[in-house]
Parts: sequence; C-alpha cells; structure tokens
Amino acid sequence: MQNSKTNQNNKVLVVGGGLGGIRTALDLAEAKKNVILIDKDYTIGGLMTQLDRTFPTNNCDLCTIAPHLSESNRQEYIELLTMTTVSNVSGEKGNFSVTLTSKPRYINLERCTACGDCLTHFPGCVRFNPGLDHRAPTCMRYPQATPQAYSIDLDKCEDVEALVKICKAGAINLDDMPINREIKCSSIVLSPGADVFDPSHLDYLGYSNLPDVVTSLEYERILSASGPTGGELLCPSTGKQPKKVAWIQCIGSRGLQKEAGAYCSNACCMFALKEAIVTKERFQKDIETTIFYMDMRTFGKDYELYLNRAKNEFDVRFLRSRPHSILQPDGTTDLTLSYTKEDSTKRFEEQFDMVVLSTGFKTSADTRQLAEKMGIELNSDFFPITEEFNPVVTTKPGVYVAGTFEGPKDIPETMVQASAAACLAAADLPETIVEAQAPKEELVERDVLLEEPKVGVFICDCGDNIGSVVNVDNLVAHAAALPYVAVAKAEGHGCSRSSMEDIRKTIVEEGLNRVVIGGCSPRTHEEKFQDLLQKAGLNKYLVEIANIRDQATWVHSGKPKEAEKKAEDLIAMSVASVVQAHPLEDQTIPMNKNVLVVGGGITGMTAALNLADRGYQVYIAEKSDKLGGLANFLLTTLEGGDIQAFVANMIEKVKSHDNIQVITRALIVDHSGMPGMFTTGMQSGPQMSYRQIEHGITILATGAKSNRPKQYLLDESPLVKTQLETQRYLFENPDKVKQWQNVVMIQCVGSRTKDNPNCSRICCQNAVKNSLAILDINPDARIFVLYRDMRTYAFQEKYYQMARERGVVFVRYDQDKPPVVEAAGDTIDVTYYDTILGMNVTVCADNLCLSTGMIADQESNKELAMIFKLPRTEDGYFLEDHVKLRPVDMPVPGFFVAGTAHSPKLIRESVTQANAVAARAQTMLAQDEISLGATAAIVDGKLCAACLICVRACPFGVPFINADGYSEIDPAKCHGCGMCVSECPAKAIQLMQFEDDRILAKVEQLFERITA
Amino acid sequence: MENFEPVIVAFCCHYCAYTAADMAGSQRLPYPSNVKIIRVPCSGQVDSLHIVKAFEKGADGVYVAGCLDGDCHFKNGNVKAAKRIAYVQKYLEEIGLESERLEMVNISAGMGHRFAEVASTITEKIRKLGPSPIKASASL
Repeated sequence: MQNSKTNQNNKVLVVGGGLGGIRTALDLAEAKKNVILIDKDYTIGGLMTQLDRTFPTNNCDLCTIAPHLSESNRQEYIELLTMTTVSNVSGEKGNFSVTLTSKPRYINLERCTACGDCLTHFPGCVRFNPGLDHRAPTCMRYPQATPQAYSIDLDKCEDVEALVKICKAGAINLDDMPINREIKCSSIVLSPGADVFDPSHLDYLGYSNLPDVVTSLEYERILSASGPTGGELLCPSTGKQPKKVAWIQCIGSRGLQKEAGAYCSNACCMFALKEAIVTKERFQKDIETTIFYMDMRTFGKDYELYLNRAKNEFDVRFLRSRPHSILQPDGTTDLTLSYTKEDSTKRFEEQFDMVVLSTGFKTSADTRQLAEKMGIELNSDFFPITEEFNPVVTTKPGVYVAGTFEGPKDIPETMVQASAAACLAAADLPETIVEAQAPKEELVERDVLLEEPKVGVFICDCGDNIGSVVNVDNLVAHAAALPYVAVAKAEGHGCSRSSMEDIRKTIVEEGLNRVVIGGCSPRTHEEKFQDLLQKAGLNKYLVEIANIRDQATWVHSGKPKEAEKKAEDLIAMSVASVVQAHPLEDQTIPMNKNVLVVGGGITGMTAALNLADRGYQVYIAEKSDKLGGLANFLLTTLEGGDIQAFVANMIEKVKSHDNIQVITRALIVDHSGMPGMFTTGMQSGPQMSYRQIEHGITILATGAKSNRPKQYLLDESPLVKTQLETQRYLFENPDKVKQWQNVVMIQCVGSRTKDNPNCSRICCQNAVKNSLAILDINPDARIFVLYRDMRTYAFQEKYYQMARERGVVFVRYDQDKPPVVEAAGDTIDVTYYDTILGMNVTVCADNLCLSTGMIADQESNKELAMIFKLPRTEDGYFLEDHVKLRPVDMPVPGFFVAGTAHSPKLIRESVTQANAVAARAQTMLAQDEISLGATAAIVDGKLCAACLICVRACPFGVPFINADGYSEIDPAKCHGCGMCVSECPAKAIQLMQFEDDRILAKVEQLFERITA
Repeated sequence: MENFEPVIVAFCCHYCAYTAADMAGSQRLPYPSNVKIIRVPCSGQVDSLHIVKAFEKGADGVYVAGCLDGDCHFKNGNVKAAKRIAYVQKYLEEIGLESERLEMVNISAGMGHRFAEVASTITEKIRKLGPSPIKASASL
C-alpha cells in the first residue's frame, strides 16, 4: 500500500501526531485528500494523552481524545508512520520531496496483539513515562494507544533470545532496521508541538533537589488514573496525601527567569485553575489550594466563569505575588515559600506540602532543526514567523504550522489552527479528486430477527469517573441477573481499543444480538459503539448506552450508594429497551454543494473565498449595506499590520469572484430542510424583496458588537472615548494628541462584571497598542492604564513589556474599588486607589480611553438562533458543539461558526477560524450524499384510519395520504421528531429507535425494580 | 412516611434538556438521584400514554423537559408537549391524582445549572406531596 501511494504527488505531509496533527489529518482525510502523518514517538497523541483532565469541562482527556486517535488509525486516506522523523526536504509548494527516516521498533505491527507478555517478563527493555513513573514502566503510553503495539528498547535488553521466545505472536523482529524513504507531497503541515520549560536550573525553586516540587505536567500525571500513583494524590517524598498545595505561575514564561521565553505561555493559568479545582473536587475540605500569580489570564470563551467558579465555589486561594524562593528547612518535609504581597513590603513565609510549578511552553531543539530543514524563518523566541493576518502561513510557501509549535496555546485554539492548516494545505493539492485506494470493506450483518434476544452488558469504570464512585463489580453482578442478559462484564475504559476489541470478540464468540454499554453519554459515544457493532456483524442500532457517568456518578458522587442504585436502574432500563430494538437502515440524501455564509466581515469573506476557490458556489448574506464588518473601523493591528488595506483587498477579491454572490441588506427570515439540503429565505436590498437560497452548508460569521456601556462619562464628555474611537482620533488628530499631557485608560469597562462576566479578550492588547501609538506621536505624554489583570497573552507580552519600558504606568485596581471619574472643565479627573502608596491618586487627564470590549449582538443572534434552531451561550454568542474537540462545528450537522460570533477575538484569530470552518465544511462538501440516521416515523397501514391528524401535526408537512388510502411518511424527508407518533390516536405510527414499546419498557423496568 | 424517596421520571429532549443534564454532569452539579432520565428526540414525542403508564406503574412524579420557547429543533414540539401536559394534568385530577405531580419545563442545552435546579425543586415538591396514591393503593 505504501509504495503505490508514495510515488504520487497528491498528498499532504503532516509532521507531528499530537492532537493538532491528528485533527489536520482527519480533516484532510474526510475531505478525501491523502495524508501521511508522521510522529517521532512510538504512538500518536502527543502531550494531551498525558493530561488527566481538561478545562473547562474537567473531562477525562483520554475519553475525549481516544475516539479521535482510533479514528485516525482507521481512515483509509491516512498513512501513519510512527517513530519517524524528517531528514531532508527539497522542492517547493506543489512539489516537495521529503526524506523520512523511521527508527526500528523491533515489533511487527501487523502481528503484535498488545498482549503485554513481553512487558510482564522483560520490564527492563522499556522506555516511556516521563518522570515520576515509579510503577512498572510500560512502552505503551496509555491504555488507548495508537498504534496498539509495544516497542522494544534493544539496548536495555540482556537476554534477547528469551525475549523473542516469550512473544506467542512472533511479533518481535530483531532484524528491524532504520528505514529511509523518499516521499512526494504538495504541501506540508508542521504540528510537532512544543516542549515544556525545564526549571531544573532555577535553584531558588528547588525543583532539582526537592521531590515535592513538581511541574504542572507532573502534577497532572500524579492525578491521572493512568499515572504513577494510579490516580492517588501523594507527595513524592513521603507518600502521604498533601494538605496544602501551592501553584506558582509563569515559570519559564514572561521572561523573568533564566532561559525563559519573553512571551506568555497562554494556557498555564487555566491549567493551574483546573488542577486546583480537580484537587478541591476530590478532597474538598481536606486540602488547601493556593495559586501565586501575576495576572490571571482567563481570556478564552467562558474561561472567566471558570475562574469565578474556582474562587467562589471551590474556595481556591489566589495570591498576587511572585514567590522569592522555595526552601526546605533541615529535618522537615515542609516546603517553605517566601513571598511578598502587592500591598506590602514585608516578607511572608508559608509552609506547603507540595508546590506545583506552572511551567510554560518552549520550542525544542528538535523542532528548531525541523524548521531549519523546512526553510521557515523563526522569531526571537524560536517560534515560526507567520503571516500578519494568517498565523498558520509560514515564510515558506506550501509549509503551514499549527498548534503549540506556532505559538503557545490551549487545545481549542490548537484544534482551530489544525483545521485551518488542513484547509490551506488542501488548496495546494492538484485539482483532480483522488479516489480512495481500496474499496470499503463490506460489512456483513447477521440476521437476528428470528433470534431470541441475547444481551451483552459491558460496564466501564472510566478510570475514576465511574469506578471511584460506584462498585462496577456490583453493577456487573446486578446486570447479569437481568432477563435476556447472556454476558455481563466490566470493561475498564470501554472506549479503549483493547476493550473495544474484547467487546467485539465477546459479541462474536457468545453469539450476542443486543448490546448495552454502561458508560458515558450516548451523545458523544453512541456512534463509536455503533461502529463496533457493525464490526462484530450486528446491525448498528442494536446497541444502547446507559449514561451512568454524566447522569449518575458525576452528579451523585457525594452519595455513592444512591449513585450505584441509579446506575443499576439506568442499566436495567437500557437492557429492557434494547431487547425491543430491531435492525434499522440509515436514510441518505444527496448533498447540496452550495454554501451560505451569514455575515460579510473578514471572517465570512475569508471562509467564502476559501470555498469559492475550491469551486463551490457561495452566497454571502450581509445585514448592512457593505462588506467588511467591524474591521472597517480598525486601522492597524498591535503588530503594525494595515487592516484597511487588508479588508479592501479582500472585498475586491470577493466582489470579483465568479463563485461568490454577495447579498447586502439581507435579513434572514426563514429556514427549512435538513443537513445537506437547506433552504433559507431572506429579504434583501432596498426593496426588501424576498428570495430563497438552497444550500448544504451554513456558516455563521455574524460577528459581535463593540460594547458601549453608560459608564465613566462615555457619551457625556467629548474627552471620553472608547479604544476604538481613540485609535481613529490618534490617526486623524495628531496635532491635538501632541498637546496631551496625561492620558488615562480604564480596562474591563463593561467586561468581567456581573452583567457581562466574560473577558473581552481584545482590550488589553488594544490599550497597549493605543498607548504605544500615543507615545509615537507624543513621547512626553504620561499614560496611566488602570487594569484588573493584564491579559497580553502569547507574543503580545512583548508589546506590554515595550509599553512599560517606554514609561506607560500600569496600575491595578480592584473590582470593588473602581476608579472615580469626574468632569473638570478641559480635563477629566480620574481618581484611583494606589495599593503601593496606600492612598488615592487623582490624574487630570486630557483624554480618557475606555476599554469597552465586545458584546454579542443579542438581538440578531437571538433571531438567527431561533430561525436556525441553534444554541447560544448565556452571554449570547453561538455555542459550538464541543469546546475542545469541535470548536467551530455547531451541534446541527452542516452548521459552522467562526469569528466573533463565537466569542471575542482578534483578526488573525478570526481568519484562522474562518479557514478552519472552510476545512470542516469541505469534509461535508466532499461527500455526494449524507446519512440522516435511521430515526424516522413509519406508518402501519393496517392500523391507519386516514384521520389526517399526523398530516396536521407534522411541523414539516411530510405525511400524506397515499393511493392506498392511508398515511405515508417518506423516511428521507422525515426529521424524526416523533410528534405524529404521539398525536396518532390509533397508535399506527412508530418512531424508529424511539418506539413506544422501547420507551414503555424503560418505564416498566424502572418500576419493576422499585416495587419488587 | 419519613424516609419517603419519590421516584421521578424525566422525559428529556435530546437537543436541550438531555444535553443540559450531561452538562450538569461535566460541571459536577449535584441533584437528587430520584430523577431518572429517559431520552426522547423531542418533548413533542412524549405521549400521554408514556406519562400515564409511568404513573400507573408507580411514579410519584413525571416531568417533560423541552427546549426554550421558540427554540424547538422541530419548530413547535415543546409547545405541543406543553398543551398535552396541561391536558393530562386535568385528566390526572379526574382520577384523583394531584396535577402537580406532572410538569412541563423548558431548559436549553447550555443550562446545566438550571437542569440541576429543576431536578432539585421538583423532587422537593414531590417529596412534600408524599407518595403517589396509586402506589399506595397498589400496595394495599
């Protein structure tokens, strides 16, 4: 297979198999593009597989990444090469030649069954777990590893022959050699990730000699169920549970230590919050958590709410301070932290049992070499230099970057960049559509209609998520006694490859014909288990998931007995229901390949251009009378990019594109259809004439509004302006700016408040940008920025630093002690409390700039959300399907969201999301038909009295009375709501998958148990 | 009846309330375990038959949770559900069952908090009402 693929120049090389690389590869593969995915490690998954949980949902990471990992392995368009690095690159965009070198694994992947015999007998010949792994090391990094195979470290093996003999599968191959191979590709995506800062040389932190000083990643491993202590939180030195844990932020970031980066590492504040919350969650009152920080940077979508939860619900203590040192007095196991507080010059000392260093991201020597081979330029922090408005585009055409290799960032942003890179890399491929190599394997379905139900119940412990609250063995015993249950088993992580394989085998060997999984939500995992059933030769609708995690152990963790009882009930109900299940067939409809983009700002236009360039017909519906959106009011970026030129150029391209039709003054009024074939009606133009557009994809790029709260004399005094107005004023009135003596800026005006709790993300860098611009015009101006936390994340930190060097005074204020603003003739008096001086200070400002940030366009978002049936966040932005894993997909297939309609963000971030959306849309547009599932209503003609009630009840007008005189419902048109079912007086209609007898079986089973 | 623990069936729409219940899970917002969720594609699918059967079998309370007004994925399933609930409530009174034992609520997918709140309030309400008279007569 490899040879046939490698000689053609029709593919994309993705370097790095972390979460970002996997996303890029999957997006390309789903859009039917060939991909070679390489990783230097033994398995793919990257950094994320080492995390215990992720913010802000505190989900288990493995659970969320695992489906993606196995997905990436099975995709027929992806060739996966592990233990492989790039040795050489030549050529250019459209025609690269790359030499790949694969190290020997000494294991034949085709043969290895991952039985673990080699590990049991020869634990020495093994690598893995970075630091802290005092359990038997394993070369399989985590239970859901892909590829599911071991690797051997020959250098450490003493008795090679015995090792070879131990493997029953004969998979150990000592003749394995390093392999060099030459491949051709059209474009390259680099997502090799970044290293984590190593604090060993910072002796005042004691990391290298005090075992209880750990990095945040090590702490994560300690918390993890697959970690060295099996998920128990224990001090490495004493093996006892700590009572006081402290986090120190910005280790290796924001340029304060030796070899630290000048940038902010972006994700560490949320990371520390998560660790503190999880710690509190598990141990509640038994443990104290303290975070030492400089600025809490929770600027992402709804992240501020997470910070508030940590403060208010979990009682995490926050101390704005940079500790001076960590020492361990002789003869004690305590760690003594010395620090000072912001309102004091005294030195404080406090004892902790464990100290976690929130270490930031750093590029590694490997990735720097990779950059050199690729011929891409790096910035002073050794991250790639990227295009002004498009952060995934490097200085070398055809080479794209994503994830933490591009710059420090968290998972959602990595995912967005990964999709964006997929979009741009795909655009470099030759036009011809490449067919898949091998025809799909036909899955044979066993006919079970005449069989007596034979149910298998598989119950996950999901690590601690289920197993720590309830006794899974009890659940298994209980399930085994239920009617029709032939097999009941505990499955550990049911979604791991080994468990999936075990379930598949059990189905086949025991001849099961129905399956119940006791685990997480069917919303996230139903599809995965449906696939599994197909592989086991069963119709995919013969499975039911009992949601004993999200709806039992997670919510009743405080009452384990009740949780266990409820889990028993839920499993019993699922068994009763699945017994009634029967095989169903999916409905498919043709995919309409037109795209509707709602909103003609930078985001909408970027997405439109990408898709139009791929040959799809795109309609842009813009509410106002011109394109450009909020960017029409912006002049330059923090980095100095010319926004006006950028927008003008883009508008020109959009207007002249043959495949794009722009509809201005468009008001969307109605919407119907289903994924793949939507019809949207709108009124447009001066006459508000009505028209309809048929499309298969809808992209929401409706933007957000500039906030304008009635505060601090805004709109009352001409001397008070928003940052947006200030920017234009500086440009238009430099003479007046030259006369300014004092300028005050107030941050978080209308953001991070009770009414609008979230951070607006853009304002801190705006204040820095405008401060620097004022100083360029008038170097003598004195500028005071009153802030709560400076959130100049990632490389913005450099400009914050620059502003301070040039004399801008940054003063922190408390939310409960806001500055007081009074008009005083030609000036504005701004009075604030200075914590260091311990007194009020008044500045007579010539100009007051308010950082008012952004708010969702409540009215029009509400309207659109109702028409399109889409969810929104509590503050009115559109709510994506999954914060981390599907950040631009909406829950309704065919709908995507990008730009500030999603949450406040900068232009380059909006452009990245727009590219990401274009990639995600192409995964659907590449299909000729899409599956609607099997949930459709079916009429039993024998029972139908043709009373027309269903005809009237159906919200979509699907049922009709056919020639035989009874009601008929076209399954391809049915939306599957079941309203006709509940209205039908003769009970002649049943909704597949939700048949009455299945629902009633659940009800009866529930009470049978209770009354019994 | 000091230790009376009511059994409550919650028919939850897949698109909103069921998602909100999962969200309550991921945010670890506790609510009484008395509430047992049955997933339906739309609150409009919940038949009078399902509700009455639940009471017949011994439910102390039943609620149907659909999307917020105007947000139904299928246009008006939640409105139809609300009408049906009002109808069944009348019917319950006729057969001597307090109509408060049945309720229609609206919860959007993003409202994990509200899901937990509603579950707690309804459980408390039913606890005060005491066991369903149907259950009492069945055990006689």
